[in-house]
Amino acid sequence: MSILMQLVVSGMAVGMIYGVIAFGYQLTFATSKTLNFGQGEALMLGALVGLTAINFLIGQSLGTFWAYLLMLPIVLAFGALQGTVVEWLGVRQAIKTKSEAGWIMATIALGIIFKNVAENVWGRDALKFPSPLPEASLSFWGIRIQPMEIAIVIGAVGMMLAVEFFNRRTILGKAVVATANDRDAAGLMGIDTAKVITFSYALSSMTAAFAGVLVAPVTLTGATMGAVLGLKAFAVAIIGGLSSGLGVVVGGLILGVTETLTGYYISTGYKDVPGLVLLLLVLSLRPSGLFGKATIKKV
Amino acid sequence: MLHIENLVASYGNVRVLHDITLTVPKGKLVALIGSNGAGKTTTLRAISGMLAPESGSITLGGHEIAGLPSYEITRFGLAHSPEGRRVFATLPVRDNLLLGAYPRLTGARARGDVDADVERMFELFPRLRERSDQLAGTLSGGEQQMLAMARALMLNPEVLLLDEPSMGLAPRLVGEVFSIIARLKEANITMLLVEQFAAAALEVADFGYVLENGNITLSGDAAMLRNDPAVRDAYLGGSH
Repeated sequence: MSILMQLVVSGMAVGMIYGVIAFGYQLTFATSKTLNFGQGEALMLGALVGLTAINFLIGQSLGTFWAYLLMLPIVLAFGALQGTVVEWLGVRQAIKTKSEAGWIMATIALGIIFKNVAENVWGRDALKFPSPLPEASLSFWGIRIQPMEIAIVIGAVGMMLAVEFFNRRTILGKAVVATANDRDAAGLMGIDTAKVITFSYALSSMTAAFAGVLVAPVTLTGATMGAVLGLKAFAVAIIGGLSSGLGVVVGGLILGVTETLTGYYISTGYKDVPGLVLLLLVLSLRPSGLFGKATIKKV
Repeated sequence: MLHIENLVASYGNVRVLHDITLTVPKGKLVALIGSNGAGKTTTLRAISGMLAPESGSITLGGHEIAGLPSYEITRFGLAHSPEGRRVFATLPVRDNLLLGAYPRLTGARARGDVDADVERMFELFPRLRERSDQLAGTLSGGEQQMLAMARALMLNPEVLLLDEPSMGLAPRLVGEVFSIIARLKEANITMLLVEQFAAAALEVADFGYVLENGNITLSGDAAMLRNDPAVRDAYLGGSH
């Protein structure tokens, strides 16, 4: 029993990371019906920029904890800038010309370019990311948890709640929701919907970059870290539904936990299978996602 | 206040508006009537920037607005209550109203007292007050129509475009909508009204324009149009 609980708890941290990246997919899909398929690369770039920043700050004889906190705003700003560039180069024109597939190829291409740039700047090796919290596990009722795993869950939930608060409480956030509801009608309200879409890309990459520096201390950092995370988070976004904030949290947790369970009880070689099976099941039985509302695309 | 000259607009290769010239004087209510497909909604969409006109001039208070995006036109004080209501379904009624005042809340237009205006809308549309915390998507069709009109009014507009405010409503609610339009007219709000109920529209309007196949075929005093035999035969029917 305690082994099972241990596996569930361990799966939750990685599940929350999937959830927060999937949340990033939702942000742009809501306003523009497009996604950044380079979301994993946004995460990777955030983690590597964060690595350079934190090492610089530690070099200024700051403790790791304070260096990590000071690094966060740099990474968030970088993520926002990176998302803006993606929207600018890859998505804007496709939306304007109502291209159905242009943005798919463009965001994939940008993702590959970002990965190549990262390989040349930071090298091909996986790098260790300094942990701001003690790495020794804490023990609760016999279940061992790394402090950084707790920080991941808190950070991921905090990020999503912050965005939710912004959307519900501020007039700019309401303008984002209005654009997601009905772009033309939002324009009639005086909302510059093209700017809102750029903003949602900035916010989306910002959440990915944040997820990158959350997960980096418990994994390793490197140019290839984003691809698998981005793909799994995409599965989570499909499982949870592209319109439900709760859906991606639950979807992320389901995927994270099934992965650790499969890794332990079956084989680590099959770790990735159950999530993909779940994805196929959801797609065939409930295509709008576990929590999504069914929509019919009118042609 | 609003002046349109030689407006031409198309959907793709299909020309919908051929040569529209019309004027909405300050403080007046102008009705645009015509059969389905005549181009009434397209005219309003071209004015508010939802559709870029091919040629022609549209001025609002002296500013040329033809071809500008909707959000910029809004800053000059043009509010559009669109066909099909288009309320923001996942937001509460109150937030829909606040979004109507978006240019005021973000500094693009004189701010005034937004909260007092929300209160004013609740007085004009008492049912919206009862529903103020409800999501707009859960309102009935009539309530959504009230909300769409109230949301447009929250701009403190120079000109208000109303597209088919009676569409799909029960007869009792149609009467209610027209009595509200009459009250807005008493408050000297400049309006351009597109309506399927031509008789009711000409009853409340100062001036009228008749649109046929993308051309203005007749215009003048609303009272005169009401008594015009051709208009009576084509649009007013026997029963109205």
